[in-house]
Amino acid sequence: MTPEQITLVQLSFAGLGPRVPDVTARFYQELFERAPELRPLFPTDMAELQVQFATKLTEIVHSIPRLDMLLSHTRALGARHAAYGVRAADYDTVGGALLDALAAVIGDSFDGPIREAWAIAYNLVAETMLEGAASARPIGS
Amino acid sequence: MAITLQRWPIVGRRSELEIFERALCSGEQAGLVIYGRAGVGKTRLADECREWAAAGGHPTERVAGSLAISALPLGAVAGLLAGGLGRAGPDGQVDTLGLFEETRQALRERHQGRRVVTVADDVSELDPASLALLGHLAAQGTIFLIATVRTGEPVPDLVTGLWRDGRMERIDLGDLSRTQLDTLLHLALGGPIEAGAGREFWDITAGNPLYVRELVLGALESGALVERSGVWHLEDRLSGTNRLLDLVEQRIGGLSAGERSVVELLALCQPLELSYLEAAAPSGELESLERAGLVTIAFADGEVRLAHPLHGEVVRGAMPKLRARRILLAEADRLEAVNEALGPASLRIAVWRLDAGGRPDPAVLVRGAQLARHAHDFRVVRRLIEAVPGGERDAVAALLLGEALYELGDFDGSERVLAAGQELPASEQVALRLAVTRAKNANWGLCEPQQALAINARARTVVTSPAFTEELVADEASILMFSGHPGQSLTVLERIAGDDLRTRVVRAIVAAVALAATGHTAEAVGVAETGYAEHVALGDELAIAHPATHVVNQVFALAEAGRLAEAEQLARAGAEIVATYRIPIAQIWFAANLGRVATLQGRMATARRYFAEAAGLAQANHFAGPRRMALTGLALAHAMLGDASAAAAALAERAALPEFGFLSPEQRLADAWTAVASRQPMEAKRYLSDGAAEAAATMHRVAESWLLHDLMRVGRQDTSARLGELAAVCDSPLVAARARHAAAVAARNADELGAAADGFEAMGAMLLAAEAAAGAADVFQRAGEQRAATAALRRSQELAAACEGATTPALFYAAAHEPLSRREREIAMLAAEGMASKDIAERLYLSVRTVDNHLQRVYTKLGVTNRADLAKALGSSS
Repeated sequence: MTPEQITLVQLSFAGLGPRVPDVTARFYQELFERAPELRPLFPTDMAELQVQFATKLTEIVHSIPRLDMLLSHTRALGARHAAYGVRAADYDTVGGALLDALAAVIGDSFDGPIREAWAIAYNLVAETMLEGAASARPIGS
Repeated sequence: MAITLQRWPIVGRRSELEIFERALCSGEQAGLVIYGRAGVGKTRLADECREWAAAGGHPTERVAGSLAISALPLGAVAGLLAGGLGRAGPDGQVDTLGLFEETRQALRERHQGRRVVTVADDVSELDPASLALLGHLAAQGTIFLIATVRTGEPVPDLVTGLWRDGRMERIDLGDLSRTQLDTLLHLALGGPIEAGAGREFWDITAGNPLYVRELVLGALESGALVERSGVWHLEDRLSGTNRLLDLVEQRIGGLSAGERSVVELLALCQPLELSYLEAAAPSGELESLERAGLVTIAFADGEVRLAHPLHGEVVRGAMPKLRARRILLAEADRLEAVNEALGPASLRIAVWRLDAGGRPDPAVLVRGAQLARHAHDFRVVRRLIEAVPGGERDAVAALLLGEALYELGDFDGSERVLAAGQELPASEQVALRLAVTRAKNANWGLCEPQQALAINARARTVVTSPAFTEELVADEASILMFSGHPGQSLTVLERIAGDDLRTRVVRAIVAAVALAATGHTAEAVGVAETGYAEHVALGDELAIAHPATHVVNQVFALAEAGRLAEAEQLARAGAEIVATYRIPIAQIWFAANLGRVATLQGRMATARRYFAEAAGLAQANHFAGPRRMALTGLALAHAMLGDASAAAAALAERAALPEFGFLSPEQRLADAWTAVASRQPMEAKRYLSDGAAEAAATMHRVAESWLLHDLMRVGRQDTSARLGELAAVCDSPLVAARARHAAAVAARNADELGAAADGFEAMGAMLLAAEAAAGAADVFQRAGEQRAATAALRRSQELAAACEGATTPALFYAAAHEPLSRREREIAMLAAEGMASKDIAERLYLSVRTVDNHLQRVYTKLGVTNRADLAKALGSSS
């Protein structure tokens, strides 16, 4: 990532302010539309999960400038998701859902450069989560 | 933020790793093949797979192909071999399957039956014996094979075979996307990078991972890439080169002398033991090389390698020859001191000595040659035996070399070596094989069938055991068959009484061809099929042809039976296989048979292409006889395509070659059709009559029917009586179809001609079908049956359309008889659509009267009386 892209991600996230829960709600909506087969893996009442998601997202966005800090979040997160049965292909689905959720909530200003910055940030997060997943998950488990 | 790159990150490959995981755990898959361009990350992905498997408790191995170690069979997989290099029997052969089985069981024992995840890097560079062993182990489930193949390199049969059977997963690896590259840079550098620098990396590398890696490590070392306040900047331009190789060269060029020594040692002899290298380079060179990403250390097995095959290529390319020689010999001495003779390490040692121009142990060389012979790798056989000093070559070595020279087209050399070999003490089996190989060389290579028969006769004084004598009888039959005497050949074959596997296989090689040529095509196909299966079961042995010979025979027999589609399909598959193994003689025969099948199909441009390929291969490999046959086919194809001068040129080229008896009557076809193309029909008839007479005298029945049928096609000569006789004694539907065609022509029976066309068409003989249909049209026409004539003519034209431009007299005749002129056809089509004469006249700017006149002629020509019938007549003919 470039320093400018990191700034774009952090500023646009800060700009969400109280609308972060809107993003998380919209994210799960987008996700289940794309992959309805994932719905049963989640609890019926999503409220608690949405709060957790928002917290984690905030932590990650804040740690992007420091790779060691970012890794400490994402590797553990990846390992946990591997245990839930999440696999590499699912990360593409999640990424698409997250970007569209952000676009829906942020609106017109979620334009070319901001969207690209988020896409690159997400790829970085996804790769490091997957790295954590592979280290934690024995082959064939 | 100092970066310590213990491990270069892997990005964008997680889905591929999961594909590997599924394949490994399914239990059904034998392996995984990773395709992609150089530097795309095949090696890295393969190693990542291997390490993930190792972390999960799977035993793992790694073998790598490289030009440096491809010389000796099994050299690349020496690490898998349990004990020695197999044992040789009294016939001078190594029990290769036994060796493979031993290896398999030793691996099973060593790993308690768990599959060994085995990376075979650059599998295209492996020698055929190594490939065969890996294939055996993978198919048996002893190893899980991860093979990498560089785009553009040939994919070994082992891989395509397993893949076709659905037992091999395939991954096509591509370059990284821009986003993935950004992630890779971020992870490799440990932080953000300024926008311009990121863009420059993208512009230069286009996402090629190895390129990125070399560029980043190079830029870090040169100080072009620096970190300030947590952000990476480019202080200097990146290396100007846009070639990956140049970049690697620059990196290697910047090493210290001590580091360079280590890299050179690895480039020639890797993998090497960590402890040895630490002692050899005591000043931390290994550490700095690891930090620079040039070597990788596998602590589990204590082995050190170069990080990427490209590094080895560059280093070997830049190394002075004398220096390479010194290193190789020193390493050979070192390993020899601690290893047993004919043990697994002896292969590596011998290769190093060979590469260094030194003198390896002759026993290892002969054993290596025997293994290479098993894999039909004759170039390697020659190289290894020629490295044995002349005085130390025994009869077995002479046999191996003589046979290799024959297979590689050096017939004079083969004769010299085999004649000398016959003077050396030898077991009866070896003596037999020396004689048979020498006779084969005399007949096929030197085109001297009399000399071959004399060698065969002399051998009976030293070879006296009944089993071996019978092989000499089979050999005599073979010489007769392939010098143009199928009838005599069959008679000699009857003298063979034995029924053991080996005798049956030897007999089948000759019998299939002789039976097919004499018209027993069904039996011939069966003999070839069984012969192949039994040959494979026998395991390959010296001095008998490659098992593919049976497949060639089967193609020939199928063609003689008119089963053209089957013949074509089989020949294509066979051609693919022998191309992989680089067996020139078999490649020539498959190409020539494909040309012959295409000729029978009437696909003359295709035939021309295959014959040209066969002729080129035969010339390159100095096979005069097969070249003669290919040139015959080539002239025939040119002539039937109407190119008289090209046909004459091919014949002139053929005239410079020695006579060759195999299918010799068929060679007259080319002379005849060249005469046809040169408008000399009398000459053509003479060639065909002469050829048919020769075929009759030697019992080439199927060839005789071809020649007589062509005599009818070209010279309008009634040959139906003899063709009928041939059809009665042959089981070939093709011979029967030719007889039926000739009889119908003689009887001027249009319906029978139509039926003959049906028969040819069903067989895929489109040119003959087209000619028969044209003949039917002619008969209908003369009988005044216009409609039927038009329909038959239309059909003839449709069939001829599949013949790729063939122009034969019968087709020419048909073209001249298109019944409707262009204007008539135009008007007829409009009328058939229901348009009134007045409207047609207006559309075409004609008078109504002219339109009606044209229509009247159309009605007469097509034999119809009203517009409804007109539509039908046109419909059936369009």
